[in-house]
Amino acid sequence: MASRESGRQKDASSRRILDESARRRRARKALEALEQDNFHDDPHANLVMSKKAPKFEESLDGSRNKDRKRRTRSSEYFKQRFRKTFTILLEEEQALYPDGPNYLTVQAPSSKRPERRLCAVCGFPAPYTCIPCGSRYCSTKCLSTHEDTRCLKWTA
Amino acid sequence: MANVFILDNGAYTIKAGFSNQNEPRIMPNAIMKAKSERRRPFIADQIEDCRDASGLFYILPFQKGYLVNWDIQKTVWDYVFGKDVFNVNHSNTTMIVTEPYLNFTSTQEALSEIFFEEYEVDALLRINAGDLSVHKYHRDRPRELCCLLVESGFSFTHIVPYIQGKKQKDAILRVDVGGKVLTNHLKELISYRQLNVMDETYVINQVKEDVCFVSLDYNTDMRTARDGKQANHILRDYVLPDFTTIKRGYVRPLEESTGKSTAGEQLIRLNNERFAIPELLFHPSDVGIQEMGITEAIVHSINKCPEETRPHLYRNILLTGGNCNFPMFKDRVFKDVQSMAPDEFDVNVTLAKNPSTYCWRGGAAISRSAHFPEMLVTKKEWEEDGFNICQERFSV
Repeated sequence: MASRESGRQKDASSRRILDESARRRRARKALEALEQDNFHDDPHANLVMSKKAPKFEESLDGSRNKDRKRRTRSSEYFKQRFRKTFTILLEEEQALYPDGPNYLTVQAPSSKRPERRLCAVCGFPAPYTCIPCGSRYCSTKCLSTHEDTRCLKWTA
Repeated sequence: MANVFILDNGAYTIKAGFSNQNEPRIMPNAIMKAKSERRRPFIADQIEDCRDASGLFYILPFQKGYLVNWDIQKTVWDYVFGKDVFNVNHSNTTMIVTEPYLNFTSTQEALSEIFFEEYEVDALLRINAGDLSVHKYHRDRPRELCCLLVESGFSFTHIVPYIQGKKQKDAILRVDVGGKVLTNHLKELISYRQLNVMDETYVINQVKEDVCFVSLDYNTDMRTARDGKQANHILRDYVLPDFTTIKRGYVRPLEESTGKSTAGEQLIRLNNERFAIPELLFHPSDVGIQEMGITEAIVHSINKCPEETRPHLYRNILLTGGNCNFPMFKDRVFKDVQSMAPDEFDVNVTLAKNPSTYCWRGGAAISRSAHFPEMLVTKKEWEEDGFNICQERFSV
């Protein structure tokens, strides 16, 4: 006997819902994107420069040449001498001044006011929450755009 | 008297010049690569030679507001000090160089070493950009005792109370929203809603500067923007540059913002984006940054200061940094702070004239003050005491 259940209920129970950690991961990724300098890759990355090709100087006495040699060396020297990433610098500072004030202690605390609810699609105030992913939406039109593009697939 | 060169070394732009100039030169603190010019990377303001700035790729010496890529920074400095730009003769020059609040110790050490050992400057002053701004503020208003500085730049916004010219390190607050976050967020919104511009940081940064404003009444503006049709005075069309006939994008006035392009130009429509972007400065939680906004942080920071100084701080709020160029920024800060401040205090907000270069002009002012020679570390002192004397004398 074919079971008689409503299509709507079936649909709801089979829907995947993102758990808390997946949502946090998404939020963190979004924040990292806001910190990026570039979205695309270096346009000159695949450029092959022939190092053997002679470089023509404006002056003929060669004095500029000497100058340049010293400069490139020192630029490379400083790169080596002070090679530290942001994370390493942060850890060092933390060890040096554990009680602050340091980078971590001066971060503004979280706001006392409630978060505003804005539509993830159009940016206007949004009263509803998307059940699978927790984003906000303001209308069925925005909800369907959201489901088609970002909710569980992230195409744009 | 030796020359004084002031280098306000920002994470996005360098403001540099000799102290006898009226205004500094502003140029990007970056090396940029364009799709159109395959051979040549552009250093700092060489980008003005670039005809097609689409898909510009940035290499920045700063990360999260702190100097990390020294080879990039050295290349940019070599260009700025070199004969193409300022032609600085370091051996008879006193250098003022700015650094961020609570700069990392090893970065401070590296900075000192580069200027003394590599450039061989005659004397050096390393100082927070904000100290210079506040110096200028007090010089213009000698009767005020305190100053609450809001410095909103590319990487973040700092809120720093100064009491009788001394910064209160325990009350410093940092809000992690700056011009970069705003541009990236605008890029993201336009790319999702209209047209993929994820590669166009340079162009979208101009869009941001051209059309964004700070809302004085967020809810009303939201309603207006949603209305559409005649009542909507916020909606604008922006014509994107194509780098052949249109060199730089521009915004169409309200009556011409029809959403239709007449001669095939590429348009984007900006509606609630115009004020929702700068709004992040006041509500970072709109993009999930769980921090106070600028105005809430101002009040929080003042409350960390001794009680007797608070009325003075509320009366002397100074706004500097590029984000203050948004129209109505000052009015919004005033409105919000006044609504949160205790009733008996007067609130007064000063928007620095030309907020991006205010700090540089502060540097020019400090170089003429009587105490200036005592603040410096000379080459001779460096040779004797090294980094220790720098740590004693410079406070960042």
